Amino acid sequence: MTAVAPRAGVRPARPRPSWGAWSLVAAAVVMTIVTGSAIHFTLAPLFNSATRGWVIVRQFFEPDWGFLLTTIKPMGVTLATAVLASMVGCGLALAISLLASRVTTHNAVVYRIAKAILSILRSLPDVVWGMLFVAFVGVGSLAGTLALVMFNIGIIVKLTAETIDAVDRGPLEAADASGANALQRARVAVIPQILPNYASYAMYVFELNVRASVVLGIVGAGGIGQTIQVELARFHYDNLSAVIVLLFVIVFLIDQASQWLRRRLG
Amino acid sequence: MIRFTDVSVRYPNGTVGLEGLDLEIPDGQFVVVVGLSGAGKSTLIRTINGLVPTTSGSLEVEGQRVDGARKRELRDLRARVGMIFQSFNLVTRSTVLNNVLVGRLHATPTWRSLFGWYRKDDVELAFQALERVGIVEKAYTRASELSGGQQQRVAIARVLAQEPSVILADEPVASLDPPTANLVMRDLQRINRELGITTIVNLHFLDLARTYADRIVGMRAGRLVFDGTAEEADDAVFAEIYGRSLTAEDVLPGAGEAATAEAATAETGPGEGAA
Repeated sequence: MTAVAPRAGVRPARPRPSWGAWSLVAAAVVMTIVTGSAIHFTLAPLFNSATRGWVIVRQFFEPDWGFLLTTIKPMGVTLATAVLASMVGCGLALAISLLASRVTTHNAVVYRIAKAILSILRSLPDVVWGMLFVAFVGVGSLAGTLALVMFNIGIIVKLTAETIDAVDRGPLEAADASGANALQRARVAVIPQILPNYASYAMYVFELNVRASVVLGIVGAGGIGQTIQVELARFHYDNLSAVIVLLFVIVFLIDQASQWLRRRLG
Repeated sequence: MIRFTDVSVRYPNGTVGLEGLDLEIPDGQFVVVVGLSGAGKSTLIRTINGLVPTTSGSLEVEGQRVDGARKRELRDLRARVGMIFQSFNLVTRSTVLNNVLVGRLHATPTWRSLFGWYRKDDVELAFQALERVGIVEKAYTRASELSGGQQQRVAIARVLAQEPSVILADEPVASLDPPTANLVMRDLQRINRELGITTIVNLHFLDLARTYADRIVGMRAGRLVFDGTAEEADDAVFAEIYGRSLTAEDVLPGAGEAATAEAATAETGPGEGAA
């Protein structure tokens, strides 16, 4: 093996260090201090008042497991809400995703309207949707389901539309060249390409829904969240802790199952 | 019959695709278009089915004016003009059969295609197309599991399923190894002869052009610089089309061995023949 002699040439000068990154870090530190002092942030109560809640904490460590029998029904409502909202939300989201990507929607007006609806949907958090629907349709699981559907559309359409933007255009050109219309092209050339990603987003949203439907129950959308709110109001911390342990187990199991499924999809 | 009359194509960025092209292609001819990259070969092919709109001039394909055609008219025209691509353009996650059925979309109501409920006759046509390119046993295989040569044959089956009167092929063998390239060209030639389908193929390789073409059209900078039979297209003509004399690189290596390699390649397994 013969060594190649290095050829002499002008080496480039080392570029000057970038001050941009450092000033960004400095700005982040300053903002943290300013915002912290604006709300008089302090961890003192964590140490000074820790003993105040001792009675409550003791109750928490003695969960009343018998109470769980009465939570079967509301728990079922919560899970049903999550499943139903996932199904409806993901179905609607797939159709809207096709409208919210330039790849599948050439009409600029339709595309802009879809994007505008999407940003409105995403501007409200799930709890606010819940409160709005409780106001509209009254307390109960319908409000919770509708709130989750809105929440799901916001997430899935954003992710799916971005996936559609990145599909291989070759099959789309082939469908065009064979005389297919826009809908047929989307069905045969786009959807098969995005299906694994879309299914993964749907599973992810289902995980979110199980947790979110608990929170929604607290604002009046039915299910186990409502039970939590009632027990909290009645100071039955032993009942509450039993519910929380149950929730932890269920959410953990669903997350594991969903993650396993998503890995298989990828 | 395809008739270009003084057709020019200018892209929005100012690039000239075609410049005052006059060209007439009678039914059933096997035409090979040669030229450097950027000479306008792809533009020429893509104007025929309206994938690239013309800027001026008039273009008539199978009795249909392509310039100024409405969306619906263009779709009807594209149903009769099949196209084959350099990168095959299959939906790799779908089965071979579903890819071939893309060729039947123009004859399938939209609601049926949304559910994937193709008519029995259309599925039958797809199977016949697969039989014609000799790959029917792969009908329920995912397209991604096929080699490059097999994928291009599926793409040819997709075009055949359209029952077209014209086939356009844009660099159909540029992604394939030499023996496979010859196989695919032979498939195209056989289809042209047996079914009388007008075939227009863009090619990089000169010897393939000479071997398979009834007629060779040379393009340079968007203009027609040669139009004649394969016999007339000697090295001097190619030198003029390419603007320089020929080198070994312009000839597809191993073309002579294609016949012996054919038997071996015909049974190529997944991945092996891929470029």
